Amino acid sequence: MPFTKLDRAASLLLDMSALLMASGANTNRVNLTLNRFASVLNCKVSSLISHKTLVITVLEEDTNLSYTKVQNIPPYAVNFTVISALSIASWKAINNDWSIKQMEEEVNRIKGITRYPKLVVLAAVSLAGAGFCNLFGGDYLNMAVAFISTFLGLFVFQKVHEVKFNVYIRVFLGSLIASTIASLGVVYDLGANPQTALATSVLFLVPGVPLINSFTDLMDNNILNGMVRFTTGLMTVMAITLGLFIAMLIFSVKLI
Amino acid sequence: MIEQLLHLVEVAIWSSIAAVGFGILFNAPKKAISTIFALGFGAGFIKFLLIGLHLHIILASFLAALFVGIISMPMAHRIHKPPVVFSIPPIIPMIPGYYAYETVLSIMKFIFIETDPSKKIDLINAMFFNGFHMFFILISMTVGVSFPMLLLRKDSVKKITI
Repeated sequence: MPFTKLDRAASLLLDMSALLMASGANTNRVNLTLNRFASVLNCKVSSLISHKTLVITVLEEDTNLSYTKVQNIPPYAVNFTVISALSIASWKAINNDWSIKQMEEEVNRIKGITRYPKLVVLAAVSLAGAGFCNLFGGDYLNMAVAFISTFLGLFVFQKVHEVKFNVYIRVFLGSLIASTIASLGVVYDLGANPQTALATSVLFLVPGVPLINSFTDLMDNNILNGMVRFTTGLMTVMAITLGLFIAMLIFSVKLI
Repeated sequence: MIEQLLHLVEVAIWSSIAAVGFGILFNAPKKAISTIFALGFGAGFIKFLLIGLHLHIILASFLAALFVGIISMPMAHRIHKPPVVFSIPPIIPMIPGYYAYETVLSIMKFIFIETDPSKKIDLINAMFFNGFHMFFILISMTVGVSFPMLLLRKDSVKKITI
């Protein structure tokens, strides 16, 4: 295999693993998918996976030629459709012995996968907030407060995302808006249990995926990646807490 | 009895709605949404049933998360999606948000509001009680959902036969 071909293989593998990392796959899954695709391309791959950058070396065993390439990972946004599509593609590639061109087309198709419309996400996540409120013992009025505050919090979160603010400032603003509105429910004593609405209004920001991935990475001995994910999760939790804290301080007279 | 069961079903339905909401936030594939709904229902039902049977909330969360982790493996076989896609959203409703809120509230009162030393002791008590509840529920959730996969890992879920 000449170098141009090795370069093509390395670019494909890097694209694919960057997509997986940015979509919220754990390190083990990235390595697994890399090896599956590499076995179809008849080469061996070694990788250094960090939070922001990927380094891989593709080695062709017959000729002993190797090729190393580095690529940055795009900003993180959890996207399970991408993870699932790449997993399916890796199986298809093995079973049908895909050519490199087919794989490139598939990866390009997966790059173009769209998300749910923003309004659908807003509605679904606000309903989830209302559901949370029910789980913590709120009545229907509290659930309505939780719905509205989650809706507005997520709306602000999405809007601030469009102007490319720092992610933790985004989380802080979302949490501040959501908890401020839910605090109004406490101030005016709406429903049976107004505190539940305040407690649930910020839960849509909870970093569930980084924290669970951090645990699996630590268990797989990918300690560095596990610690990085844990730290990002912790930073997000601290940003949420700060927003909630300030909202509660503003209305502290009523909370005592 | 029937009233309790109906209440349990209602809570389980709200927990599955919350699971689907997070599934959509994480952009889960359309085909997986119904599975997420079912798993969210099962997890909520088991958790609140066990709490109703006076099991501690930490253990109840662990068992419900374990249920999700185990069931998601045969499901992955059936609908050909990796298990993470529908094992993470159903456990998100188990996040101990209320304990977290109570912890923050007692810290705030401790620092800014309360001046009476004997009431401050109560607040320290509340901080530790709620904080450690939150911490252990989080740990039991994560361990419960990822343990089945880690235990049976044979580099891919497709090679696990149940």
